[in-house]
Amino acid sequence: MRDYLFKETAHPKLLVLACAVMEQEIRRFQNGRVDFKFFDYGLHRTPESMSKVLQMEIDQVHEGEYDGIVLGYGLCSNGVAGICAHKFSMIVPRIHDCISLFLGSPESYQEQSKQHPGTYYLTPGWIEKGETPISKFNFYAQSYGEETARWVLHEEMKNYTRILLINTGVYEIEPYQKIARQNAEFLAISYQELRGSPIFFKTLVEGPWRKDFLVMERGHSIRQEMFLDL
Amino acid sequence: MIQQEKRFHSVRIQPGFGEEEVEKILNRLHEAVVLRDCQGVKELTERMIKEEVDFFKILNQGLIPGMLDASERFRRGEFFIPELLMSTRALKIGLNILRPLIQAVKKGVLGRVVVGTVKFDLHDIGKNLVIILLEGSGFEIIDLGVDVSPEKFVKSVERNEAQILAMSCLLTSTICWLKSTIQTLHAAGLGRSVKTIVGGAPVTPILAENIGADAYCREATSAPAEAKRLIGIKGDHETSFIKQV
Repeated sequence: MRDYLFKETAHPKLLVLACAVMEQEIRRFQNGRVDFKFFDYGLHRTPESMSKVLQMEIDQVHEGEYDGIVLGYGLCSNGVAGICAHKFSMIVPRIHDCISLFLGSPESYQEQSKQHPGTYYLTPGWIEKGETPISKFNFYAQSYGEETARWVLHEEMKNYTRILLINTGVYEIEPYQKIARQNAEFLAISYQELRGSPIFFKTLVEGPWRKDFLVMERGHSIRQEMFLDL
Repeated sequence: MIQQEKRFHSVRIQPGFGEEEVEKILNRLHEAVVLRDCQGVKELTERMIKEEVDFFKILNQGLIPGMLDASERFRRGEFFIPELLMSTRALKIGLNILRPLIQAVKKGVLGRVVVGTVKFDLHDIGKNLVIILLEGSGFEIIDLGVDVSPEKFVKSVERNEAQILAMSCLLTSTICWLKSTIQTLHAAGLGRSVKTIVGGAPVTPILAENIGADAYCREATSAPAEAKRLIGIKGDHETSFIKQV
């Protein structure tokens, strides 16, 4: 659609700014023309800081260093809203959050959400660099004791009915299966696994950026409505 | 987790205290909500009632601003979910003490509100806080829970003859259901008689306007004032807290 933005160069040099939870899945597509920078998963909890941190990073890149910026983020609770690359074109996946990337398409994510709205998604990257219900419980218990931690976690998680581990194929999966199962047992909810797909990550890094991507011309800000079908 | 929980086990208020003392105690009540101090909230609220401090003053200048403060800290990333939930629990203690007293003065309810989280969205921490606050302000609530379809919302509004429909969503992927529900309400011929309030982390004022909502709440704490405005209750001293904090 609009990847002609890079037509001056057949092989654009790109800087990928992405969430740490998808580092292994994205690094598979290292091709010598792409640099990566990964950010703490916790940014999604404070969308206002997410946009500030990413904006600062984009502003620090010198013109001519790259042909474009790629964001390894979805709308992420409006965390990317307002971001603007003044010196570069910018590619952004047109998705709500990273689960579409792990599953291979927004349609796969939508299908899962509709069939099981109460799904808590885990990937090996999330378990390693993000959080799980058990890690949350331990964190809460350190500050407030077990009884309060149990109450808080119940309030937070009571509507979840399933843990879904997405196997993206880049990790030795057994240890993560074990952890994901333990979490399902801890919450007394069901456990399932699903094979993810690398295709969305591949397109994110290599293009062509057509369906499911926003190609932002330099100086244009990301807006929430670009992600919504209203 | 930033601040350690503090407690006000000994609350000393001089008998027959004046305006200045009331201000001080209201500030402490505010602080007790922020610091998640259930015992402090209970003692301070009960003591102020005993000293015949105006119920609405306790509510709108102590408890609610405390909750607004906690919500703002949550938004800024200073508080996390445990702190927000524990502040809500402390607030609830104060509101439960005040509610029967307010109801006795007001005689009856201000209006009936159907509340729920939209289809395919299971997040209810903000919604439950809205319910506590609306109930505390004198509204009757019909809580439909989470993952509520547009049809279920509209049926409930019709059956209960509600004046207001309040909807929440946390996921950007479920924002579309706010719009669908408002459209379904209009299709049922209730678009004019029933007012809609929308809120939740991803909702913005522009979005609320674009989807045809009658009101937008940035914070759960602004829900009572918006609900009162929508049904034409004005000039009530208890609606003015938002401007004061």
